[in-house]
Amino acid sequence: MRAKTLVIGIGNRFRGDDALGCILADRIQMLALPDVEVMTHSGEPASLIDLWQDRGCVILVDAVSSCAEAGTIHYIDMQKRGLPDSFRSYSTHAFGIAEAIEFARVLNKLPPKIVFYGIEGKSFAATEILSPEITAALEDAEKRIIEDIKETCDA
Amino acid sequence: MSEGAKTKIIKVDYLARVEGEGGLYLKIHDGKLEDVQLKIFEPPRFFEGFLRGRKYSEASDITARICGICPAAYQMSAVHAMENAFEVSVDGPLRELRRLLYCGEWISSHTLHVYMLHAPDFLGYESAVHMAKDHQADVERGLQLKKIGGEIMSFIGGREIHPVNVRVGGFYKVPTKREMQGFRATIERARDAALETVNWVSTFDFPEFEQDYTFVSMQHPDEYPMNEGRIVSNRGLNITAANYDDHFEEIHVKRSNALHCVMKEGGQSYHVGPLARYALNFDRFPAHIQDVAKQAGLGKVERNPFRSIIVRSIEVLYACEEVLRIIDDYQEPEQPFVKITPKAATGYAATEAPRGILYHRYKMDEKGDILDANIIPPTSQNQKMIEDDLWKFVPQYLNQPDETLRWHAEQAIRNYDPCISCATHFLKLDVERS
Repeated sequence: MRAKTLVIGIGNRFRGDDALGCILADRIQMLALPDVEVMTHSGEPASLIDLWQDRGCVILVDAVSSCAEAGTIHYIDMQKRGLPDSFRSYSTHAFGIAEAIEFARVLNKLPPKIVFYGIEGKSFAATEILSPEITAALEDAEKRIIEDIKETCDA
Repeated sequence: MSEGAKTKIIKVDYLARVEGEGGLYLKIHDGKLEDVQLKIFEPPRFFEGFLRGRKYSEASDITARICGICPAAYQMSAVHAMENAFEVSVDGPLRELRRLLYCGEWISSHTLHVYMLHAPDFLGYESAVHMAKDHQADVERGLQLKKIGGEIMSFIGGREIHPVNVRVGGFYKVPTKREMQGFRATIERARDAALETVNWVSTFDFPEFEQDYTFVSMQHPDEYPMNEGRIVSNRGLNITAANYDDHFEEIHVKRSNALHCVMKEGGQSYHVGPLARYALNFDRFPAHIQDVAKQAGLGKVERNPFRSIIVRSIEVLYACEEVLRIIDDYQEPEQPFVKITPKAATGYAATEAPRGILYHRYKMDEKGDILDANIIPPTSQNQKMIEDDLWKFVPQYLNQPDETLRWHAEQAIRNYDPCISCATHFLKLDVERS
């Protein structure tokens, strides 16, 4: 039986701040919260949609680049709206989270609760080191996600 | 858009549903098409430059980063070129596993293009998401088929995007026979979905348009080509990859950051990709796949580029059947790779990426360090061919509204599934009427 809540960290651990989705997933997994499954994912749409099925709540965590201040935490209730264009990939071949959400919406496969935490990155260079602003934002982001799991997903 | 007595200019910033950044410029004077320019302004990426000084063993992982859609093609061309240089042959189960990886990439890449990028053109939708509202079952089938292609790549390559398990001489780790068998039921479902895909796309309406193409593809005596074979054409070309530079050349044109490829003899464009592979290798398909192609309305040669969506679907079906064959025949190799001894040499290879021939050439010193590299992706080779198609296809729409003209021009470009990120190593549309 699938855990009621699924937390998915998306990103590339070797591309600077893009790693933060994976790092936050690691940190939440360490807490071993009851009825919460945590994983990292490439963003492939069909497998994401499959993973969402039979879940009560899905939390997506990813780095974004939308010209906001580095470390800004964007929160989007995906049941109410899609990802803004500024979060989307420019590569039309690289179908990702935005397309997965919109396909799932059209195909009536969105889970009852699905939220997106996008943390504004600063550098996506080939490194395993996060920008200082991102390191500073990690703790706040983790705290908000855990509160969300307890208040929203467990409700 | 502006329109005067003699001049009309249409500007569209980016063409949709192609990979990378580029544009198209059309100049129309007195109702006649005067200029066609496929502009690729995605910055050059200098991969050949920073391969210099790297180890021969690094080329496959470095070049895989050129593309997130066809990384296995880059890995395959790289390892084959190195093995050509060091005079090593990879046979048996390791050769089959490479073919399996390539099948996964064909299924994933072709399915993405067929369902998400190209089908909306024929059914009149802005995007696949818009199309999904009315074609739910079809889109779900496409998503599942693409996912299975990715799962094959993850299974053999360690992960779907930029696989990490490929090395010169073979793989770092190979699957067990039991693991391979565990995949069989999934691939049977994929084969059924692939057959449904052929049936679905064959019902589309296609514009009447044919060109007498010079088709160029790999050809292997025993199999539909992926990793190995000679480079042949329907005009009598029949060479090894080592002779590629003698017959093809890259030309810089001001409007594009990607080099244009032409045939040295005559300087004309040529066509690589599914239509070329199909035309030059139809008899390599098993009889029942040939029958499916015929039932879908294809002949032994297909010269209408819009019908490439059917050919891609046939190739997906074939790839699924190849995966099943490889699973059934698989015997675990004694070693996951063949030992390599580097030496000073130059190696050449071409393999069939989903979009066509991908040529690699590397020169190494005695330690196996790369002194020089050249990579020619299929979209570079098709660039001039795309322009040539537009020269012939667009004039019939010159009297139609700009939006209609744009729609048809974009669709003609998407016939080639162009991958501009690979080619620069696309699309803004400017139409100028005067």
